[in-house]
Amino acid sequence: MTWIAERRRRSRFETVVLPHLDAGYALARWLTRNDADAADVVQEACLRAFRYFDSYREGDAKSWLLKIVRRTSYDWLERNRPADLVPLENEASPDGAAPPAAAVDADALLQSRSDLRRLNRLIETLPPPLREAIVLRELHELDYREIAEVTGVPIGTVMSRLHRARAALRRAWNGKGCR
Amino acid sequence: MTQCEDVLPRLDAYVDGELAEAERALLRDHLADCADCGPEAAALERLHHDIRQSAPIYRAPEALRSRIRFALRREAAASAPAVLRAPGWLAYAASILLAVAVGSGGTLMMLGERQENTIAAEVIESHLRSLLGAHLTDVASSDQHTIKPWFAGRSDLSPPAVDLAGDGFPLVGGRLDLIGGKPVPALVYKRREHVINLFVLPASQADRDETVSRRGYTLRRWDEGDLGFWAVTDAAPAELVEFERLFRAVTHG
Repeated sequence: MTWIAERRRRSRFETVVLPHLDAGYALARWLTRNDADAADVVQEACLRAFRYFDSYREGDAKSWLLKIVRRTSYDWLERNRPADLVPLENEASPDGAAPPAAAVDADALLQSRSDLRRLNRLIETLPPPLREAIVLRELHELDYREIAEVTGVPIGTVMSRLHRARAALRRAWNGKGCR
Repeated sequence: MTQCEDVLPRLDAYVDGELAEAERALLRDHLADCADCGPEAAALERLHHDIRQSAPIYRAPEALRSRIRFALRREAAASAPAVLRAPGWLAYAASILLAVAVGSGGTLMMLGERQENTIAAEVIESHLRSLLGAHLTDVASSDQHTIKPWFAGRSDLSPPAVDLAGDGFPLVGGRLDLIGGKPVPALVYKRREHVINLFVLPASQADRDETVSRRGYTLRRWDEGDLGFWAVTDAAPAELVEFERLFRAVTHG
């Protein structure tokens, strides 16, 4: 009765993983910047997760799913919007270096200063590695260790990316310096 | 650790709550006094606040949930024997019905206890799945001398497999299904073009005897001896009541 085993596996998957669907969708939505694309990515990610489910060990199902959603989002971007995936410059340096100039549109920023909602647009203009760091930290409320786990980089890199993301947002949001 | 050049690189970790308490206290003292670092930290806190205030909260749409559950079923079915695979469009239509029938749940709540709710939801889901593909019956027969031995050894419950063809409810076979994680016998009857699935579980002792209808599916449950019966169909509720009456009359007699 393989279908009974198969059904048990599916039902366990739905219990363990699907409660984190909102978190997965939010990450895909920030990375693809589009509802329909996010939905496609999340569906694909869930099927991948289901296939890998035997390799899931009891633990943090949310991080596990986010990791797969993130990988799937990048694969999707590679196929559909390779221009989004410009590599980060100076990845190693933990200083407050600006993100690549092209990543932040100065005109859009000038108009957005007085409009809190436009802060979202600024986040969306960050390069994906900085964007995902800020989204996972501020909106998913993951700690550094969890972000490192999800994004597959050392904690030091998480810290430098967060720092760069915030520096870029503050520069764009408030003008130079502090508000 | 009171020099600004020591403090600034730690400000992110400070506002993110990633510092140990001792280090955190040192920074807090410094920030209170320093005209450079203090505002810097305040600006980071404000950015953090602004982002949380302004960012939209994205939630997976209901339609996506249904799509994913459906895709998982297909995925699971793909590794099961071919006979279980359903035609795509039919399975999809049924998955929508299922999402509606189970997701809305209001009437199912009438059954009371949570466990009974779960069983009711599973019974409806199993009923739908039985309609999806070729897997309506594991043993196709209207003869209880064929069906009863088939269940023996596969389940520790032995259902009374009575044929009610004379009353317009022919028995078409039996199937082993999974409810509450356990294999249970299901008897399959027809009412004209409709299917009635009768699941046989241990009696629950709950003396509820009611009809639950939801979006075209009707569910009735009753106990008899140490067996609990759950009947589900897309035929009219009155026909299910009639089915129960006939079934009980024959199994009692």
